[in-house]
Amino acid sequence: MRLRKKIAVVGVTAALVAGVALVAPAQAASKDLVVGITLDIDKLDPQGATSFATVRALGLVYGSLVEVGPKLDVRPGLASSWRFNDAGTRLTLHIRKNVKFQDGTPFTPADVKASIERILDPATKAAARANIATIKSVTVAGWDVILDLTIPNVAILAALDGVNMAMLSAKDIKAGTIGKTVNGTGPFKFISWEPGQSVKLAKNATYWQKAPQLDTVTFRIIPSESSILSALNAGSVQFSVITDPLIAKQVGSNLTKYSTPSLAYMALQLNAKKAPLDNVNVRLAIQCAISRQEVVKTAQSGEGTVIGPITSPAYRSDINDRPCPTADIAKAKKYLDAAGYPNGLTIKSMVAPSQFATASAVAQSLKAQLAKAGITLDLELVDDSTFVSRWLAADFATAIANNGGRIDPDTMYTRYFTSTGNLNKVAGYSSPTLDALFAKGKSSGNVTTRKLAYKLISEELESNAVWVWLFSPYEYRVASKNLVGFVPLATGSLLELRKADLK
Amino acid sequence: MQGITRLQRALFSPFVTKTFSIFTTLLGISVFVFIVLRIIPGNTITGSFGIETGVLTPQQISELRHYYGIDQSLIMQYVSWIKSFLSGQLGYSFSTGVSVLKLTKSALPVTIELALIGTILGVIMGIAVGMFSARKPGSFRDFAGQLFGLLALAIPGFVLSTGIVTVMANVFHYFPNGFEYMTPWENPWMNFQQMMFPGLVLGIAVAAPVMRTTRSALLETVDKDFVRTAHGKGVPPRKVALKHVLRNSLIPIVTMTGIQFGYLLGGAVIVEKIFALPGMGRQVLDAITKREYATVQSTVMIFAILFVSVNVLTDLIYRKIDPRIKK
Repeated sequence: MRLRKKIAVVGVTAALVAGVALVAPAQAASKDLVVGITLDIDKLDPQGATSFATVRALGLVYGSLVEVGPKLDVRPGLASSWRFNDAGTRLTLHIRKNVKFQDGTPFTPADVKASIERILDPATKAAARANIATIKSVTVAGWDVILDLTIPNVAILAALDGVNMAMLSAKDIKAGTIGKTVNGTGPFKFISWEPGQSVKLAKNATYWQKAPQLDTVTFRIIPSESSILSALNAGSVQFSVITDPLIAKQVGSNLTKYSTPSLAYMALQLNAKKAPLDNVNVRLAIQCAISRQEVVKTAQSGEGTVIGPITSPAYRSDINDRPCPTADIAKAKKYLDAAGYPNGLTIKSMVAPSQFATASAVAQSLKAQLAKAGITLDLELVDDSTFVSRWLAADFATAIANNGGRIDPDTMYTRYFTSTGNLNKVAGYSSPTLDALFAKGKSSGNVTTRKLAYKLISEELESNAVWVWLFSPYEYRVASKNLVGFVPLATGSLLELRKADLK
Repeated sequence: MQGITRLQRALFSPFVTKTFSIFTTLLGISVFVFIVLRIIPGNTITGSFGIETGVLTPQQISELRHYYGIDQSLIMQYVSWIKSFLSGQLGYSFSTGVSVLKLTKSALPVTIELALIGTILGVIMGIAVGMFSARKPGSFRDFAGQLFGLLALAIPGFVLSTGIVTVMANVFHYFPNGFEYMTPWENPWMNFQQMMFPGLVLGIAVAAPVMRTTRSALLETVDKDFVRTAHGKGVPPRKVALKHVLRNSLIPIVTMTGIQFGYLLGGAVIVEKIFALPGMGRQVLDAITKREYATVQSTVMIFAILFVSVNVLTDLIYRKIDPRIKK
């Protein structure tokens, strides 16, 4: 009996050791990078991509006219140079020569024209259409592509970056194969997509920059971030993007962690079109009862930066330039008195825990803080799709939202806070002042004029407590130590994997 | 008169009533899931476009509603899906561009393998600990066995899964599920490693109720006359325990195992997520997030069919265990 037990113990241990031994050689496979992602991609049309997973994977396969660098500077991409006319109504892009699509056909200005026109075509349902809606016409002149604009709009240059502005082959557009086959100009070629399991890419040897060092990049779906961290520790995955600060804090010294302040931001959105939030004093009371620093400390374990409305680095809002830079309960109560709620009030707040790792923790922190001022935050927990659906219909009093940021405030907020913006219903607020300021910011090529316009926009949004802007989270890229040469980008793009190598 | 009686007998025969109850159960589930999916806010458009749905014009939304087939009346949508389900295609997944049948073909074997491993491990552990406990009621071994049952019931699957994954990865640098999933015929050894721990987690969840059922069934049987007779005739104790006591206690154990198998299919959702297994649980979870109606409806129906099949199988096993049930 004892012998049997011993045999069993030895057998189990041997199996475990053999398991480790057998799986270990695969991780040593040199230039094959495995990226752990929590969600599968959801489409192959880059111009219609909206999910982070799709944007990141297809961002390695497709190229855009300009690129946003690590310092959020706009750099040449498939356009090698550009110039605006003095009025800011015409942008001439000089297209890079000797670029090839992955099927071997040359990339030409005709492809640029066809790609931009496809984005502008409402039938495409392109994600970036609103950002470039001021393009009146696209003309090809030799290796130049001329964009004539309906209004002066220098902000449009930065809007040409990213996978939603992917340059496609005119031939593929005509053949109607976009979304069915993948043919870009990016550093990696699409190999396969196994729904629910993985997306495989291989290096594009004819890439217009130096060909990537990595032979393959495989996006493997591991739905839980803690399991991804385990896979990184075990070596079965070499790279991942982590959003949960609590998981990121567990990253050990055996891995490299890149913490990049994100352009995205967390805000308590207030629906100013619905009572009692149509009363500015109620909104100001909410704003004054909240300590953003406390939210970052309790919900984010200190991982995040307190922000104002504008997160774009060149135009960043001053966080002290607001009615209550820190929590002021006495002032909040005064605002409630002025609003006619001396005994406090109850307000509903919609939150989707699946939308952001710390969404529930942020909600709880806000609830606890607002209670001190007599405001009861009644949390409504919903799933992601329900959140989006109700958010779009402005069917909420307040909502805890994790919104994406842009490097230019114009593309970031025009759609929310101008009276004709397509998300103005969601934003719940607009004014003639804001309309005029956004028009000024968009049209001026002068940085000082633009900065002033966005400063005033920020002031208007804060002094009316349109929303309560809370903080920008960090984005964490975690990599095994043998991954070198990777540079994280604040836009969330993984494009710089084109320069990375596994040593 | 005799003819009518025969017809009545045929109509109310166990086979016909069982078939009818299975059919109505499945029909009820299909209608229920169909309605629930349409009541909750959001649709395939918001699931696919997210907040960018706000950028779409009314005409684009109308085109998309037509494309996704959600512009039809609810009855037409149901008929269209049920037709596709019965044809074997199970509907179409818009986000992946393939039929739900194709998705299910790769996901279903994963979940069935996982559930089978979980059930087998659970039954072995449950019966073994149950027998161990029942041998001397009130003793320390009984206390230890019951403590195992209590802990196995109390520890949630996600906690156990996360704990195992974290310890194995951090201490032993071992997490085979981080590698590409391998089917048993592609790479049996890797498949075993990838299924071992999730199967164990599910097995522990099954073991607890099986253990408790086994213990009480054994304690009830052990006092029966035929057991005393067997002892009196000098049958060895081990043979009495296995052949007389266990065999005659099997019916409640089989019932409990059948029920637990159904719960395993649900429990697999979270275990598949943590262990990165591309099974049916993940398929339905992703589809709910994306509001892929056909995928959710068909996957739930497959779960329901599996559950019903296990119940039928349980009935058949009863007859094998206890020949009196045939009568």
